[in-house]
Amino acid sequence: MTTAGDADFEALLKPAKLSKLQSNGTLQKIRKNLRLNIYWGALVCLLYVFIICRYPLWQVQGALVIVLAFSLWAIYSAWAEYKKIGPDISDSNSLLDELKRHQRSLQNWIAVQKRVALFIYPISAAGGFMLGGFIGSGKPVAVFMSKPIVLIALVVVTVILVPLCHLLAKWMFKLSFGKCLDKLGQNIQALEAEK
Amino acid sequence: MSETQFLQQVRQNQGIVYKLVSLYAANEEDKKDMYQEVLLQAWKAWPRFRGDAKFSTWLYRVCLNTLLTHTRANNRIEYKESLDGLSPTVENNSIKAQEAQRLQLAIRQLAETDRAIISLHLDGYENGEIADILGISNNNVAVKLHRIKQQLANLLKH
Repeated sequence: MTTAGDADFEALLKPAKLSKLQSNGTLQKIRKNLRLNIYWGALVCLLYVFIICRYPLWQVQGALVIVLAFSLWAIYSAWAEYKKIGPDISDSNSLLDELKRHQRSLQNWIAVQKRVALFIYPISAAGGFMLGGFIGSGKPVAVFMSKPIVLIALVVVTVILVPLCHLLAKWMFKLSFGKCLDKLGQNIQALEAEK
Repeated sequence: MSETQFLQQVRQNQGIVYKLVSLYAANEEDKKDMYQEVLLQAWKAWPRFRGDAKFSTWLYRVCLNTLLTHTRANNRIEYKESLDGLSPTVENNSIKAQEAQRLQLAIRQLAETDRAIISLHLDGYENGEIADILGISNNNVAVKLHRIKQQLANLLKH
């Protein structure tokens, strides 16, 4: 069918315009997010290394080495996922294969984010608690943490905040990519249905 | 393969892009976004185009793969005005133009994957080719086409 022209499209059909086009695709957004995760992760690791060197207390150093190991693993996970996701649309895959590839990439990315976050939430909650205690009481961390009631409070705060943050993260993923995942799922199901 | 060659090929087949984008875009902003994404993805994939299939078939595949995986803020189709771009350029035949518009409106009411199937069918693709582009069996294409035609007939009655 011959169709009338469209000014918006014709405006893009110029060599100068073409070279400046940038993708706004789903996988491109995920890759951008993963890149940010890697940068921030590397920055946080450097901060941990600095604290480990600056404060030679074995308890602090021991805890930070564990956190550092998890952070490095998180960076590696993000990097591996980043390398795995091809942001461009395939011109050889069928539509069904391409829909499944997008769905798989999105689901893997969300799984990586959730896994990483589960390690970060308890540390953040404990860190915030200790910092708050230090500022509020004006006593060194070791002194106010020696009271059993404070330790119990720390456990309670962690137990409440970690699932809450996890739920919040789940909600945010749903908000950001829920519609897209639902739509991909619906289209895959529609294509596969033999009716 | 140069940029100029690519643009020339796209210009010759731009009707495919217009039609498919008009079937999936929810509004004017969405349409511009989709044009850009389709053109960019086609441009990136162009070095891999070996000419085994016709350029139009290759472009169809790139368009569908891009449009159906693209994140949209709103899935509800809101605009009607751009339907002018879908009607045949037969100025002296307003009845044909009206019929084409009605058909396009009805197609836009179908499920996203059904829009792809009927669009390919109306453009003369064989069931085997449709099956290859979509990644489903020939039999499944035939069954779906039968159901889609019934659905369209119902929509066009009202």
